[in-house]
Amino acid sequence: MKNRQPLFHVVKRDHAGPGRQAAAYVAAVVLALLVGAVLLMVQGVEPVTFYKQLLTMGIPGSRYPWRSVENFIKLFVPLLITSMALALAFKMRFWNIGGEGQFIMGAFWAGFAAMKLGGTLPQPLMVVVMALCGALGGGLYGVFVAALKVKWGTNETLLTLMLNYVALYFLQYFAETKTDWNFFLDPDSARPKFAKFPANAQMITIPIGPFNLNLSLVIAAVLCVLLYIYLNYTKRGYEIAVVGDSPNTARYAGMKVGKIVIRTIFLSAALIGLAGAFQVSSAGILSTSVTNDVGWTGVVVAWLAKLNMVGIVVASLLITVLQFGCQTASTTYPSIDANFANLLQGVILFIVLAADFFTRFRLARTRKEAAK
Amino acid sequence: MEERYAIEMRGICKSFGSVAANKNVNLNVKPGEILALLGENGSGKTTLMNMLSGIYKPDSGSILLNGQEVAINSPEDAKRLGIGMVHQHFKLVDVFSAADNIWLGDDKSGAVLKKDRYNTIGEMAKKFGFDIDPRKKVYNMAVSEKQTLEIVKVLYYGAKIIILDEPTAVLTVQETAKLFDVLRRMKGSGHAIIIITHKLNEVLEISDRVAILRKGEYICTVDTSSTGEQQLTEYMVGRKVELNIDRPVVEKTRPLLEIRDLTIRNDEGAVAIDRVNFYIRGGEILGVAGIAGCGQKELCEAIAGLRPIESGMMIHKGDNIVGLSPKSILEKGISMSFIPEDRLGMGLAPSMSVTDNMLLKKYDQSKGPFVDRKTGRAEAQQVIDELEIVTPSTETPVRRLSGGNVQKVLLGREIKAGPNVIVTAYPVRGLDINSSYAIYDILNKQKKDGVGILFVGEDLDVMIDLCDKIMVLCHGRVMGVVHAHKTSKEELGLMMTGALDLTNKYEDKPAGIARDSRIEESEEVEE
Repeated sequence: MKNRQPLFHVVKRDHAGPGRQAAAYVAAVVLALLVGAVLLMVQGVEPVTFYKQLLTMGIPGSRYPWRSVENFIKLFVPLLITSMALALAFKMRFWNIGGEGQFIMGAFWAGFAAMKLGGTLPQPLMVVVMALCGALGGGLYGVFVAALKVKWGTNETLLTLMLNYVALYFLQYFAETKTDWNFFLDPDSARPKFAKFPANAQMITIPIGPFNLNLSLVIAAVLCVLLYIYLNYTKRGYEIAVVGDSPNTARYAGMKVGKIVIRTIFLSAALIGLAGAFQVSSAGILSTSVTNDVGWTGVVVAWLAKLNMVGIVVASLLITVLQFGCQTASTTYPSIDANFANLLQGVILFIVLAADFFTRFRLARTRKEAAK
Repeated sequence: MEERYAIEMRGICKSFGSVAANKNVNLNVKPGEILALLGENGSGKTTLMNMLSGIYKPDSGSILLNGQEVAINSPEDAKRLGIGMVHQHFKLVDVFSAADNIWLGDDKSGAVLKKDRYNTIGEMAKKFGFDIDPRKKVYNMAVSEKQTLEIVKVLYYGAKIIILDEPTAVLTVQETAKLFDVLRRMKGSGHAIIIITHKLNEVLEISDRVAILRKGEYICTVDTSSTGEQQLTEYMVGRKVELNIDRPVVEKTRPLLEIRDLTIRNDEGAVAIDRVNFYIRGGEILGVAGIAGCGQKELCEAIAGLRPIESGMMIHKGDNIVGLSPKSILEKGISMSFIPEDRLGMGLAPSMSVTDNMLLKKYDQSKGPFVDRKTGRAEAQQVIDELEIVTPSTETPVRRLSGGNVQKVLLGREIKAGPNVIVTAYPVRGLDINSSYAIYDILNKQKKDGVGILFVGEDLDVMIDLCDKIMVLCHGRVMGVVHAHKTSKEELGLMMTGALDLTNKYEDKPAGIARDSRIEESEEVEE
């Protein structure tokens, strides 16, 4: 009997320790950068200097190095908070891919507060009001989907996805409609253009020498610790884990599953809304590209980190370095633009997934004597 | 000259990571022979058979078909070589007809559904002596019909070697007898048959030879005619095992849980439990027997407060529990543990640790916003020690434990809560002899402590030995409650199929209503 025999077959490995897993991930990132290097060389760019510039983000040799760090933080904080918030929902196996929409809603309502009350309140109070408006706006936008799911079992993936576009066009309507009542726009400009926020609606910064520390970074760090504790040590976190693992078991244990879903999704979406509020108050202006795609990138970060809070910090740092670094590096290389960051990000995601596979399985050579 | 084997496996080894599932296993079957493959859970029976059917590949060793070495790289290869496997969980498309399910996997059938497929397959089934309607949709079929269809399917593909993985687990006594007739007929026509089972009496009844695996290792092959249950068990477990199930006699209390005129609907809205009466006393085990899907699940869910009832009464120690939340029913001391087919679906959170699963029903009782894992860990350790649960640590996800240990975790938690009524459905589902007996012991200990136990089971032999009384359900109706020591498997089987109705056996006492009921009493108090 003649039989074709494949050269390799997949064999299960023992459970890999955390050290080995971390090593696999680092190797994956390095491999992704190598793939990127090939792509760079094809375009005639010298990869070593490019990566050097990318990883240092143009800080050395800059006349205002602290300015670079400040801009980096502005990019980092929204992604970090959004990824954490998405992980919260994913832990419950609620596929919230509506980060974009919730972020826009958060930004919109924070902007609403800034434009309406901007001149009247002192800055600290104003920032708090904006944060609350953003959180509430994002939270309600998300909880709408959760309520539909609990009540009628609708599909949250579809709904959150579609509501992203609703939110985007909602914001675009205000961006492009030049009328008297539209207080979002700059009254001095003939073309429709968002107005700058009043000065007291700008995010508070803490001056440390020449460097201005954005307060939102401090808040994000605190949130990170709080969420870690919430998920791993509190009863509410325990409930989320059980509902995510098996809703039937949760019901059987006497948990009110609907209530838990609504509470958790409100929290998740409110945090994303908060990130939106921080984003606009740091920028000092609304924009239709306010999200910088964090609603999508956050999904990638949350899964790269396997929903682990520490992992999320690392992964969102890595992604932000890539994006920000590519932006700065691309100023010296006309053939490269920020899209290269997205490309690298995709390559990293794929290779990390493959690395993940190989921490659990390995290829074994099919032995000759068995193949005979 | 050497004897010709239909299939022979020589020195088969297979490991998953550092776990060796099969170590140097030898196995052979002659044409026209039935070989029983016997072993405890996790002894590598299914792994071994999966290598025959092309799902896994052996790490080393060789497989010989009619004396010639072959490589089986995929299920297609296995099919071409004439090896067919009937899996424990049927591989059928529910919305297709019987004929289409067979047509689907046929290489020669082409891309078009031909009109004559019903005839072709109907005739072929008749030729082998099967009674199946080729036009019937799978979702309309009873479990035994689905199994017949699976067998017809492998025969249609021309299998000469047929592997059946625990085929009787889902069948009634009568259906099992029918299946065995079919197997004997196939044996008569020269097929080689390998049957995996836990049930020793069936092994002795149907097989010609028995091969025994223990912890992945091949122990021996013996002729069925020259062996007995005791010897087989010893081979399987590796030491002497007492094969008697105790039925301690305990002082019974007044009824703890009384069910009156209970009607429940299932998810589809059909009546699942139809005007059922029964009661459980402390210190007794009431068995519930019935064909799969005759309302056991709905009954358990209703008692635990997970499913609304249509009408009727559920009285616990004189208090009404209808309409209470699952939580308040738990607090009354009624514990329910249901082991579904996938074993993990209800009652456990599979990705969470043993500790976290111990806390499932009481995480809310500790003070403050934090989960009290210290107590949980201590309790998990206690349960692990008491029930001899095999686990690397208290922090191992339950998913990674073997079936028996998973079920012990579940039962251990339920008992730890100190319930007065235990509702347990299929607690030994898929477990080997050793683990099963450990679970019977646990239940008997609870019974001695005065707990009332409702035991929904599948194995009638076990129920007759373990339970005090057995209630038989058929299509949601009670066919009677019989004393376990006075009944027989045949009687129970007839009641399960609805052929025998014993509800009016005693004229002075309506079935399922206790003479010293607390219901009348509480009604009098109300008046």
